[in-house]
Amino acid sequence: MKKQNPIIGIIFWTLVSFLTLFPIYWLFVISVKPAVQLFSTPDLILSDPYWGNYAKVWGDRLLRSYMVNSLIISSGNAILCTILGFFACYALSRFNMSGKESIFFWTITNRMAPPAVFLLPLFLLLTQVYAVGEWNLLDTRIGMILVYCTFNLPFAIWTLRPTVDGIPKELDEAAYVDGASAWKVITEIVFPLCRPGLAVTLILTWVFAWNEYLLAATLTNFNARTLTTGLSEYVTTTGTEWGIMATISVFTLIPALIVFGLVQKHIVAGLTFGAVKG
Amino acid sequence: MNFALKLGTSALAISVVATSAYADDAFWRKAAEPYQGVTLRGVTESSPPSLYIREVLAPQFEELTGIRVDVETTSWDQMFDKAIKDMEAGTGIYDMVYIEQDIIYSYLARDFLVDTTQLLADNPALKAPTYDEANFTTFADYFEDAEGHLYGIPMEAFIKVYLYRTDLFGDAEIQAAFKAETGRDLVPATTHEEYAEIARFFTKWGEDHDLDLWGTTAQAHTGHVASWYEYYESIAPTFGVYNWGIDAANNYAASVANGGTMNSDEAKEAMTWWLSMRDIAPPESPASTWTEVGTTFGAGRAAQGLVYGENAGWIAADKEKSLVVGNVGVALPPLAEGVMEAAEAGEGYIGYYDGGAFGLPSTSKQKEAAMLFLQYIGQNEVQPDWAVAAPRVTNKNTYDDPKVQAMNEELGGYYDMLKDKGYLFAGAPAYPFHAQVREATAPTFYKILIGDLGVSEGLDEMAAKAEAELTNLGYRK
Amino acid sequence: MQSNKLGWILLAPTLVILFFFGVLPFIYVVYVSFHSWNPFAANPDMVFNWADNFRRIVFDEEFLNSVGVTVMFVFFAVLSELIVGYFLAQAFMKEFPGKAIFRTIHTLPLIMAPIIVGSVWKLMTTPSIGIIPHYLDEWFGISMNIGTSAPTAFATIVLMDVWHWTPLVTLTLIAALVSLPPDPFEQAQIDGANKRQIFWHITLPMIAPAVVATVFIRLMDALRTVDEVWMLTGGGPGSATRFVGVHIFKEVFPKTNYGYGSTISVIVLYLTIVACWLLYVTMLAPRTKKKG
Repeated sequence: MKKQNPIIGIIFWTLVSFLTLFPIYWLFVISVKPAVQLFSTPDLILSDPYWGNYAKVWGDRLLRSYMVNSLIISSGNAILCTILGFFACYALSRFNMSGKESIFFWTITNRMAPPAVFLLPLFLLLTQVYAVGEWNLLDTRIGMILVYCTFNLPFAIWTLRPTVDGIPKELDEAAYVDGASAWKVITEIVFPLCRPGLAVTLILTWVFAWNEYLLAATLTNFNARTLTTGLSEYVTTTGTEWGIMATISVFTLIPALIVFGLVQKHIVAGLTFGAVKG
Repeated sequence: MNFALKLGTSALAISVVATSAYADDAFWRKAAEPYQGVTLRGVTESSPPSLYIREVLAPQFEELTGIRVDVETTSWDQMFDKAIKDMEAGTGIYDMVYIEQDIIYSYLARDFLVDTTQLLADNPALKAPTYDEANFTTFADYFEDAEGHLYGIPMEAFIKVYLYRTDLFGDAEIQAAFKAETGRDLVPATTHEEYAEIARFFTKWGEDHDLDLWGTTAQAHTGHVASWYEYYESIAPTFGVYNWGIDAANNYAASVANGGTMNSDEAKEAMTWWLSMRDIAPPESPASTWTEVGTTFGAGRAAQGLVYGENAGWIAADKEKSLVVGNVGVALPPLAEGVMEAAEAGEGYIGYYDGGAFGLPSTSKQKEAAMLFLQYIGQNEVQPDWAVAAPRVTNKNTYDDPKVQAMNEELGGYYDMLKDKGYLFAGAPAYPFHAQVREATAPTFYKILIGDLGVSEGLDEMAAKAEAELTNLGYRK
Repeated sequence: MQSNKLGWILLAPTLVILFFFGVLPFIYVVYVSFHSWNPFAANPDMVFNWADNFRRIVFDEEFLNSVGVTVMFVFFAVLSELIVGYFLAQAFMKEFPGKAIFRTIHTLPLIMAPIIVGSVWKLMTTPSIGIIPHYLDEWFGISMNIGTSAPTAFATIVLMDVWHWTPLVTLTLIAALVSLPPDPFEQAQIDGANKRQIFWHITLPMIAPAVVATVFIRLMDALRTVDEVWMLTGGGPGSATRFVGVHIFKEVFPKTNYGYGSTISVIVLYLTIVACWLLYVTMLAPRTKKKG
């Protein structure tokens, strides 16, 4: 590690942090301003905060259920994508299946689709094809978990591939020689070694799912609505309730912040997208 | 008192407890018997009138009848998309959909909606004694077909009015300065010239006195359809250009060459005038949708302006959101010569009469139960409280209720104007291709706003684009 | 080595899910793209019209314009993110007190939903009232109006994207830099190489795969940007920020132009895949092969 005067680092990073934090600070400022002050001259420093928006949002039973839905959908989706992505990467890394590199590239094309136009076929599939009798996948949490796989599963595979590739094959082979089953090798030897990469994949897929708006807005109605769709309810022809929107936004940040904080230390170790291994 | 968005859940709890004790409780119970356990589902924009349905009327109805009503509230663009997908695919998710006045013709053209008049005639047992189509104001006419059958129960109605600041207009110093400068008394404008004169005066007044004050609002967003609407709904008609300048009777012609008026001299004059007002409006105007125009006026940054009735309510009376409470006057929009006469004669209109209704999709699986709820929200009895909670009036006798009259005072006579002058305003033209032509012409419209195209060539291009889109859609032969 | 059967079994759930939720909708979109279909046209049904939509797209000025601004946006945004991200990552390679805290702060924008980012930036940049135009005017006399100035609106969106996504780039580059072996650098210093030479001849080639992979993900996501632009400018002023994602949104949602909208989407997806594939085969694949 290079040495330098620590003061420079601190000053530099304080400035950068100020720029990084300002929009988040401003979000908070908006959330504690009464609506009547929004279009008056802005003050940089917050004075006399108004907590009415927080009371309103906290007391709203619908928003609470949106929060639960968001938590279930993004956690379910992140776990599913991370596990399936890990299996897929193990397969791509350890086996000589024909066309596996093409499959690898094809998975990521699923993330490239412009979402707007795919809403109609997804709506039709969820309501009419993936249906049993009266029940169908539209407006269900499991439906949303599966739909979110279209952009998160490819991402998981792409993030995990270098990690799994980086685990020496000799480890597997040694375990097989000792008579371990394939399942045991995958879950008890390779899986733990990939933990940092898995942590990063988990958190990033979680964040992508947590923040998704368009698909949730179209494919949920009553039972599986998420917090981001709750936000859009406050953009209306009678005016946008910026204060409430900002307050909900602050609420959406908290769980994300907790999840992010928990795995922060794994992140750097795990983000090895094709990095050269030493 | 503040009314709009007083729909915080706590305030609502009270209304729910004080459930309706109307005379005909027995009817509702009996009529609802076959539908016990049914859940009705509706989709609407999350505006105050809709929230009132979700939070007050639906729970009341459930208590009375045992029929549960879930109302999904969402944003303006999402609402249309969801309703259309459901009805187009025949999924039957919704039993009630919000029909904005301007999309009814698209829905009717596709037979998306149930004829409520016919449904009640066929099922006399469903007909509530307190429900009568004759109770509605003329706004209900927009939801009828040629035979007078009703396809949506009106739930909100507004007119886009000319708001002005009574405190500024009544200020002796300002009045004197205005008189000295123009030789006229400072009163709300009736012509475009007067309006422009007042606007210029106040913008200058704001500059001279270092105030955040401008002479007019302008809903002139350069990337959002709000600006398109302001021009076609509120500006062009006052210059005598109606129905977007498209002549439905003449093979949907838009350009002057083919018999339309979209690029007529009047249309160009209207655009030039509006742009000149936009230039002296507050700096946020080119980024303003209806939201920001309301906020601009509510923040006291404009002396006068054209504002949607939905917003006129909270601007005039909601202290939590507006700085100009008690200082708002209401007037008719300024007009070009001959427009008032045309409107009186029923050949034109002076501004936009907007709002929406609740309709029953043909794909609903619970039509009868949904019809009961629609009648419930259409009764005279539920109207006054609703009008106070969210300033909208759809039934004639709501105006006479003391609560509504009191509110009329607060709103600077807005309800009087809606009642007496509502007939001069009109909803969107009866086109089944509303959003399609709007979107086809909007990019050109924005180019005019940012000055990439001149007014004249811009409107020429818009007329051409409109005709091309209409041909493409198969309406123009 | 186990048989390939196990490999296919492990891959199967992924393939099944992507087939049912990715491939089937895609097939439907391709099918619709060969039809004229607007439920509010005089004829509301789907009508097969051969390749008319594809022919039309070649002359569609608005679409071509949207491709142009999207390419510009992706270029400026991703390049800036890469440069800023690289310098920040280098700065994080040094030791200083509070490093962990600063790194946490720096990742915060990542956790914000695009729709929230768009809302906050809209409020911060509202002409005359937003905090940024207000203080630009008060302190420097600069008037900033994203409603009238196309370059301002475009730059604001690039800046917003850089603010939002640079942390991702920083993180991936830190990961790459951390895993660099020290030997080549020590050797180069002994040989008397200067900083620039070390960067061009040693650092860059060694972190190239990570850089390309990062660009790859950012490129893909930037091409689909909708939510934050929708909130901030709605595509304006004029068409200055009407990116393909926004263009498709306007075509499919309000205009309900399902047929032509599908065609645009198919073309956009095709162009994206081609661009990414070129990047992949030229930069990434050789490295992957060497390793495997």
